[in-house]
Amino acid sequence: MFIRRLKKFLYSYPNPELEQPQQARQAPSPEGKPLSEDLSDSLELLQKSMGKNTDFVIHYLAFDEESDYKVILCYIDGLVDQLLLSKLLENLNRLKLDNLLRADKAPADWLKNQLAIGNIRTIYTEEDLEHAILDGRAVVLVQGMREAFAVYIAGGSRRAVEEPSSQTVIRGPKEGFTEEITVNIALLRRKVKSPQLTIETHVIGTYTRTNVSIAYIEGIASPEVVKEMTTRIQSIEIDGILESGYIEELIQDGVMSPFPTMYNTERPDTVAGGLLEGLVAVFVDGTPFVLMAPVTFFRFLTSSEDYYQRFDISSFLRFVRIISFFVALLLPSIFISLTTFHQELLPMPLLISLAAQREITPLPTLVEALLMELTFEVIREAGVRMPRAIGPAISIVGALVLGQAAVQAGLVSAAVVIVVSFTAISNFALPAINFSSSIRLLRFALMVFSGSFGLVGVLGVLIPLMAHLVSLESFGVPYLIPMSPFNKTNQKDVLIRAPWWKMRTRPIMIGDQNQMRQTKDKKSYAELEAGRPRDPLA
Amino acid sequence: MTRATRASEIAISLSVYEVGSTTLFLLGGEAKQDAWLAMLLGAGAGLLLLLIYLLMYRLDSERDLFELCRHYLGSTFGWIAAFAFTAYFAYEASRNFRDIGELAVQTLLNRTPMPIIIFISIIIGSYVTYLGPRSAFRLSVVYAYIMAVGYALILVLLPMTGLLHAQFMFPVLEHGLTPVWRAAMPEIVSFPFGQTILFLVYFKYAQKGKHLGRLAIVSYLITAVFLTVMNQLVILVLGPEIAAIGTYPMFMVVQMMEVSNVIERADALFVLLLFMGIGMKANFFLIGAGIGLQRITGIRYKLWVIPLGITVFGLTYLSPTFTEYFRVGLKLTVDRLMPVTQVVIPGILFIAMLVRKKKRKPA
Repeated sequence: MFIRRLKKFLYSYPNPELEQPQQARQAPSPEGKPLSEDLSDSLELLQKSMGKNTDFVIHYLAFDEESDYKVILCYIDGLVDQLLLSKLLENLNRLKLDNLLRADKAPADWLKNQLAIGNIRTIYTEEDLEHAILDGRAVVLVQGMREAFAVYIAGGSRRAVEEPSSQTVIRGPKEGFTEEITVNIALLRRKVKSPQLTIETHVIGTYTRTNVSIAYIEGIASPEVVKEMTTRIQSIEIDGILESGYIEELIQDGVMSPFPTMYNTERPDTVAGGLLEGLVAVFVDGTPFVLMAPVTFFRFLTSSEDYYQRFDISSFLRFVRIISFFVALLLPSIFISLTTFHQELLPMPLLISLAAQREITPLPTLVEALLMELTFEVIREAGVRMPRAIGPAISIVGALVLGQAAVQAGLVSAAVVIVVSFTAISNFALPAINFSSSIRLLRFALMVFSGSFGLVGVLGVLIPLMAHLVSLESFGVPYLIPMSPFNKTNQKDVLIRAPWWKMRTRPIMIGDQNQMRQTKDKKSYAELEAGRPRDPLA
Repeated sequence: MTRATRASEIAISLSVYEVGSTTLFLLGGEAKQDAWLAMLLGAGAGLLLLLIYLLMYRLDSERDLFELCRHYLGSTFGWIAAFAFTAYFAYEASRNFRDIGELAVQTLLNRTPMPIIIFISIIIGSYVTYLGPRSAFRLSVVYAYIMAVGYALILVLLPMTGLLHAQFMFPVLEHGLTPVWRAAMPEIVSFPFGQTILFLVYFKYAQKGKHLGRLAIVSYLITAVFLTVMNQLVILVLGPEIAAIGTYPMFMVVQMMEVSNVIERADALFVLLLFMGIGMKANFFLIGAGIGLQRITGIRYKLWVIPLGITVFGLTYLSPTFTEYFRVGLKLTVDRLMPVTQVVIPGILFIAMLVRKKKRKPA
């Protein structure tokens, strides 16, 4: 028995075909217990489930004690807009429902049109009734009708569209996403005015019932990725989603990888640009951060401003970012290994100057650098968490006490301080925060290894890192494309940013569905101009 | 959602694998200043072998080396041949790891015990093995960029620093063709050019319908010319006598490079480049051995990674001293073992395949 099990274990090749095919997305059909015609039943239901809550309000309209004809309006105070609510009440009163209903059973459609405020949904079931109220709708219930009407008049206080704080640009749109998913999707729609822009919404979280929307441009995004995204999102069973980080961690590839395989952004223009390249975006209600996938390593080194500036400047900035990526990752460990293991690699004058600094410092270079790195991380974390008013104090302590005074006191050498600060600054030059955080983590591993094995140790961390990166995929797209596997056409938007008139195609493997961005036969003025022979004497 | 490996990735892998540890040693030292002729001769013979291997792939592109053995040589002989290849690959991997250890101890980390270095490099190699051949191909594409830049720098800087002595090139064919022939056969053919036998395991991962053969031959030829140039550079800098004596002659050459007070000694960086090359070669051997173990036993590949790593770690200690290790490597392995695994067994296999193909055709 045991042997058979062992054999089964040993010989069991992973077989992807055995996995259950996921069910196709269900059409929204009324499920659950239908509403009762009798208003008192519904009232009882509402009282039972939500009557305890003081912010739950029921208005009794046309409530005639003698007859059966009654209308009620219920909503949660604070979730609805007061102005719209009063307008709704006005409308209801104007309709003189009492009379109407007494005369004849008014058809549901007619009533729905007469209410005429915002987005109105007809409700058939008890579950929907509760959810509609909790979503911030005002629900109209009429005696003798199997349907209820949920009027979307959500309001209350919320943040206005502001400039995004995490990804700033000099040139480019200054608006950022907010916490409201409808506003966020509207911001995107204002940029991509195409019926092909598809939004599919799922409700995730048994308690929070958070709206999670998948956005993509039909005909550009790969249907496989969209399908994969949908199945992954539908597989989530959790009590609550409070931020897109929940979704990201629950559905990303390479779960144990330090590198992010989904992109997040606060900028509608970045999302629009991504969708035009064939990415799929995930909006989550309650957070300004929108996720995008599939994403490659090099996207984390680009900023949306690259596409608004001149191509030569953007290409130079990309180069700067790549340098700062390597500096942020490697500089401290290379410094440690050069000064402790391979002094012969340094030119003599530099070596002497470094040695003179080291003369008075008591600690080994590795410990010194680790201490300074940790100190910086603490300062940084404090800078993020502390109350705004204490800001100047932190910078004084950080810059003067920990930097200058530590050097003057002979605790750390000036070179280490320079290395650590330059590393820290380089880290901030990277446009994606989640990406630079993972580099911070890897830097410590590199430093420890370089302290024990020198450059060999650095290589010993870099090789598994590279092996990990090449094996990583994001929704079926290799993470390092177009470098490994190499691809020629994608090179136009990686290390350099080609001028727009050269960017005719979407990136391969992401936008395979619809390759051309610009038609082949029609050339823009700039391209014609670039190809035109010039006669200087003319 | 894994996609097929492109043929170009395998061709680049072949190139990285060939360069591997080759630049570490001086090849064709017996032929003195005519080492380049010996290299070209060896490369030519190696090309012949590669063509045979590619032809075998053409005959049956669905099976890898081990499956070919078992399919065409009958169950017993096939099993023995497949096992022989597996053992050979594991042994080669162990030699590469030993090279890494020896190189590290002799050059950069003379106070670190060698077992620790070998152990760490085997852990890294096992990780790459665990990720599988497709990742290894992609990894070697990344390596190709780094190695291209590194070797290009050496190729540019060496003449610039005025170390080359053209007179070491002459006289050509001082003692006739015999020393050249002796240097090339079987030494240079066995190492590195005949080692392409390993890629019979990997050819089948290529996307079907691509010109794998053409790409592989082109990348082989470029690599062969590159290796010949590098080999000859060593002789041009050190002279044939000193080059033949030095343990790691290329290392000595790079040590002599000095660029106007910015780079005092580039040897540490060159050693890193070598580590990458040798490591990649060792990875390919390890993966080959792992696939072989799966084909022989039927137990899946990923479970073999740890036992294989431990075995290879043990194998690195087959030779107790460096001198013996070096002698075994240069004489026994290259002269006796490799011709068997690179020519004899594949030759038998090739003939068996042809016979089977012929038999099937009339039917």
